[in-house]
Formats: sequence, C-alpha cells, structure tokens
Amino acid sequence: MTVTEASREPVEAAATPVPVVPPPGLAAVVGSGDPRTVGKLFIGTSLVFLLVAGVAGALVGFELGDASGKQVFEADTTLRVFTLHGTAALLLGVLPLLIGLATAVVPLQVGAATVAFPRASAAAYWVWLVAGGILLASYAIDGGPFGADDDAVGLYVLALAVVAVALFVATLSVVTTVLTLRAPGMSLRRTPLFSWSVLVAGTVWLLTLPVLGGMLLVTYLDLRYGQQFLGGPQGVYDRIAWLFWQPTLYLVAVPALGIVADVVPVFAQRRHQRHGTAMVLLGLLSAVGFGAWAQLGVTIDGGEAPTPWLFEGPWVVVSFLAIVAVLGLVGLWNLTLAAGRPRLSTPLVLAQMGTLAIVVGVVAGGATAIDALDLDGTTWMTAQATMVVGGALVAALGGVAFWAPKLYGKLLPDAGTRLGGTLLLLGILVAAVPQAVAGALGQLRLAGAGLLDAGPGTVPGVVRGDVDTVELLDLVSGVGLAVAVLGGLTIATALLRRRSGEGPGDDPWSGHTLEWLTTSPPAVGHFASLPPITSEAPVYDARHGAVRPADTTEAPA
Amino acid sequence: MATTATDLEVFSAAPPSPPARPRVLLVGTALGASGAALTLLTLVALYARLRADVLARGEVWLPEGSNVQLTPGSMGMATLTLSLFTVAWIVQALHNDDRGHALMAFAVSLVLAAAYVNGAAYGWQQMGVGIASSPQALLIFAITGLHVAMTGVGMLFLAVMAFKAVGGQLTGRAAEGVSAAALYWFVTVATYSVVWYTITITK
Repeated sequence: MTVTEASREPVEAAATPVPVVPPPGLAAVVGSGDPRTVGKLFIGTSLVFLLVAGVAGALVGFELGDASGKQVFEADTTLRVFTLHGTAALLLGVLPLLIGLATAVVPLQVGAATVAFPRASAAAYWVWLVAGGILLASYAIDGGPFGADDDAVGLYVLALAVVAVALFVATLSVVTTVLTLRAPGMSLRRTPLFSWSVLVAGTVWLLTLPVLGGMLLVTYLDLRYGQQFLGGPQGVYDRIAWLFWQPTLYLVAVPALGIVADVVPVFAQRRHQRHGTAMVLLGLLSAVGFGAWAQLGVTIDGGEAPTPWLFEGPWVVVSFLAIVAVLGLVGLWNLTLAAGRPRLSTPLVLAQMGTLAIVVGVVAGGATAIDALDLDGTTWMTAQATMVVGGALVAALGGVAFWAPKLYGKLLPDAGTRLGGTLLLLGILVAAVPQAVAGALGQLRLAGAGLLDAGPGTVPGVVRGDVDTVELLDLVSGVGLAVAVLGGLTIATALLRRRSGEGPGDDPWSGHTLEWLTTSPPAVGHFASLPPITSEAPVYDARHGAVRPADTTEAPA
Repeated sequence: MATTATDLEVFSAAPPSPPARPRVLLVGTALGASGAALTLLTLVALYARLRADVLARGEVWLPEGSNVQLTPGSMGMATLTLSLFTVAWIVQALHNDDRGHALMAFAVSLVLAAAYVNGAAYGWQQMGVGIASSPQALLIFAITGLHVAMTGVGMLFLAVMAFKAVGGQLTGRAAEGVSAAALYWFVTVATYSVVWYTITITK
C-alpha cells in the first residue's frame, strides 16, 4: 500500500503547495502518512475511548453510592472498572488526544512541511488503536488489574506496554519535529508556546514512558513466571498507579496549558506578554512532572510496598513548584487579556474553563504534600486527577475548536461546542468536588486492596466520617461523570456536524503564528513562502507592520 | 576582473542559502536510543534496589544454585567494546567515500554483535536456574534478555545501513543514517557496561 505523505525535505516542493489528492476509499485513511490525517485519527479515536472512560467512572460512582449491596457489579469488578476508567482516560484518552493535536498542528506552527517521521506517526496510531482495543478486550475476559484470569491480566499488561511504545513513537516524532524542522529564523526562543509545550512535556514523556515500559515488562514476566514478588493480578495496578497521581499527572496539563497560551493572545488581540517567562514556566511544570521516582516500592518477598519519598523534600518541592508554575501562567494570561481587547470566542471560553480546572487540580495536589492533612491515599487524590485530566481535556477541546479550520477546513458550531464544554466542566467539577470531600472524610481511593479488604457491600476504606455522607458523595460523583459524558457526546456531535457551507478562510481568528498563513485545510507541503521570523508571533508582526510583508523567504525543509 | 558595486548588489539580493540539512534521523535516533536505554536502566535500578535491601538485611542476594559466571559477561563486554571501534570505522570510511572498508567494517561489527548474543545465550545456559526459580533469576533474565533485544535492533539498524551503503546511498555528507546507527550502537554498548557491572561484577 502506498503511504501518502509530504517529503520531509521539500525545500523546492514546499514552495508550491499542491492540492491534496487522496487515494480512493479506505486507503486514504489507512495508508496516510499525512500528519493532519493521523492527528485527526488520534483525536477522533481518543474521544471514543474517553467516552468509555467516562461511562466506567460513572458506573463506579453509582456502585459506591449504596453500600447496602451491589448496584451494578461485584466488588472486585468495581476495582477493575475503576482501573479501566483511569487507564482509558489517561493513556487512551487525553494523552493521545494531545499527541494527535500536536501531530497535526506542530508542523504548521514551526513552518515544516510534515512531521519528522510521518510513517512512524501513522504506524504509532494504528498500533495504539489495536493495542487499545486489546486492552479493553482484556477487561471483557476477566483481565485487567485485579482480574481473575491470569492470562487475561497478562494480556492487559502486554497491551498497555504496546500502548506505551506507540505513544512513545508518536511523541518522539513531534518532539523531533520541533527540534529539527523549525523554519529559518525560528529559534527555540521564538517557538510558539503550544509547540514549546509539546517539546518540553514530550521530552519528559520520552523519559517517563520507557520507565513505564520497563515496569510493565517485569510485571508481565512476574505474572507469567510464578508471580514471585509483584503480587500477581492484585499487584499490577500498584506498578502503574504513579501515572495517575502527581507529579506525572502534570505532564498532560503542560500541552493543554500550551494550547491556552496560544489561544489567549489571539483572542486578546495582543502579543503574549512575557513570552519568555511563559516558556520558563511551562518548562518548569514539565520538569517537575517527571514522576517516575514517586512509585510504590517493591520488596523481594512481595511484602508491603514502601513509599520512602512521601512527604520528603522532593515531593513537597514538586507539589508547590507546580502551583507556582501554573499560577504564574495564569497571571501572564491575565496580563495579556488586560493589555488587549478580548473577544469571548468559543476556543477562549474552553481554554479558560480548562485552565480553571487545572489550577484547582494543581492546588489540590499541593494539599496532598502537607502531612498533617492526611490526604495521601484518599479519594482526594482521585479528585485531583479528575480535575487535572478533565481540565486538560477541556483545554484540548478548546484547541480542537481553535485549530478546526486547519484540522477539518471548517469551524465548529459555537453553540454545541460551548454547551458541550460547559457540561464537561460542570460534570468534572461535580465529579471531583465530592471525591475531594469524601477524601477529606477519610475515604481511601480505589487503587489497592482497600475495596477487596472491605468486602462486597461496604463502602471501601471509610476510616472516619459518616458512611451515609460518603455514599451520597460517591453517588453525586457518579452523576457528575455522567454529566461529563453527556458533555463529551455534545462535543462529539459538534465535531460531526461541523459548519457546512463555505470554508472559514485561512485565518478566521487573526492568528499570530505560522499555521494561519497557509490554507484551510492546509495543502501538502503547507507553505508557499514564509515571512521573516523575527519573533514568536510572525503573523502578528506582519499584520501590524513590524516587518515588511514582501520580505519573505522560501519555505524551509 | 574587478568586482563592481553592481555585482555586490546582485549578491546581496540573492535568496538566502537553503537551510542546513536537519539531522532528523540522528536526533530521532538519539531520543529513541535514550528511551530503549531508560527501559533497561529501569530494570537495572529495580535489581540494584532489591539487592541493596536484601544485603542490608544480612542475607545473600543470589539464591543457592545460581551461577552468574564472570567469563561470559566479561567476554560480552570486551566484544562490544571492540565493536565500538569497528562501528566508528564504518562511519569514518563512509565519510571518506570508501565503501570497501565500510562494508568490511559492517561485516566485522555484525560478527562481533552476533558473538555477544552467542555469549549471552551461553551465560543463560550456565546460570543453572530457570526464570521462574526466583525473583533474582527473573530480573537477570529480564535485564540481559532485554539488552540482547536492544542489540538485535542495533544489528538490524546496522544491516539496513549496510545495504544502503552497498546501494551507494550512504556516502560523504549523506551518511547521516550510518551516524544514527552508530549512535544507537554506542548507547547499546554504554548500557551494557551498566548491566555488566551490576550483574556480572557485583552480582
């Protein structure tokens, strides 16, 4: 099968973008190495997986809402569905969504004709899709963490490892694009903030995913050969749980905040204030997001896992540095909005809503570092993860709305997108706040033997507080996730019913960065010529006369 | 003929020179090789941590009956160290457009790599315990097995570059691919030095 893609070195070819002539039928999708096609595939599929994650989370909430007996499924199944919720939300949902957006947008932003490794990106998508499907299927055959069938649990571990490899390859492709394929004049200092955030967060993901891969390999071998020291199916989640709490959790927030950083100045109609400071803050958040060190420990005899890092210096410093970074970024965006003439368009609304959730989540993470509050291991951490991942999702959907002309050649309908985003944020808040309160009351999170020890028909891990109150909070949390699913469905509908009729034009928002110079949707090769790049906002410069528009250069490789 | 002011103006109005060829494959390989090395080092770190815990309790690390011999591991280290020179030879030969020497260096490098894999397999045979016999054995098989897999990828990378060299695609400045393969190989050998020290030397 022919793979359709642009050459990576099209100095001459890119000078004359050619119309896209896709091959007919399924080959147009399966055989495509076009970053926009691959990015759209990642985005669409991850939204489907996110709906699965949302439904799973809502079911867990409903199950825990009544301790008198099983509402939906057995106690051990509740644990498994909870792990499905986490895995699908992060590794099949928000992270691939951000990678997909980056695959489609980053080459445009840096003035490249395509990503660094178009075929590898395409292969990564298909491998991720198949592995993600197998991962879900493993739950259906009594696998997943805490599953009863060892082979099915092993299948889950292998599928997750393959998912990690696929995400590694896709991330590597976009990171290499930013490092090597920037247009002439675009130094790293002048890189648009979304591309910069992909570079810094992607680099840390490239350091994190191999650690996950190594842990999954040894977990699989232990499962397969005697379950000697990692606890068998009951211990699998302990090996991957560090992905779902701080600081690793913050790595999904970084590209989401990068999206916000590109959206805010465009709708403020003003250059981003203190662009360099924003780069440093995004870099700082990425650096503190390397969390592979904060894992549950392992003992040779399979004994209780120590956490020697908890409440120690690095843990506390990381928790509070993340707050500094995020609040600093919010401050810069307020400066930018105050200096400009803000237009309250849909992408800005979604970006602000996502930022709100991320800020609350990161601040909640700071609270877990205070030993006296005794929040570690409680559903407070679940609430924090819900806020950060949910906020990143809303901001990413703001990015999809922002770059929809480049992705789909159409704008998304305002009403549907705003309604969906609002429902999503509302659902996330309604899901997370009760979880946080229940955590403060002492409810342990569902990520260990807590539920199994409690036995069926009991609220897991309630160590203090009123059981009825905790049940009610769990039920409300489930309702919140159901509302979030509704919001997701509304956005999916908006995506499917993109505005018909004439296209939105090449630059409907009066954008600041290079992607707004090319057609909507972009032709193969992306650019005929580029303006001189003397700042981080070359299109803004050209529009405001900072440089002469005639001073153009040939498109780069 | 003397250069006139008009000539200089022509030069100043000329389009900028094309950008330097971006080292896409080299950078991508550096990131990919780092990822492979990190996966392996994660297992090495787990091994070292568990070993330290056991020794701190005053117990013996390697279970009775296991036999991690010094010779196969050290021979592997020596073999891979030699291959560093032969891989560097490939790069230098291709930069000099000397395909004959490059192909010879490719062949020697691949033979050395195969010898290392053979030595690793011999080491597994001599260990005297199976992978399911203890956590220690499981970790040793996992670490050394993963490194052999990493070496296999490196051999494949070198072999592909060798075919490209035979086809005349890798010469002079266009030899980025073989530089990338060499980089991957150097990371593979560096990673093995950690494995060798952790498992063969300190056991």
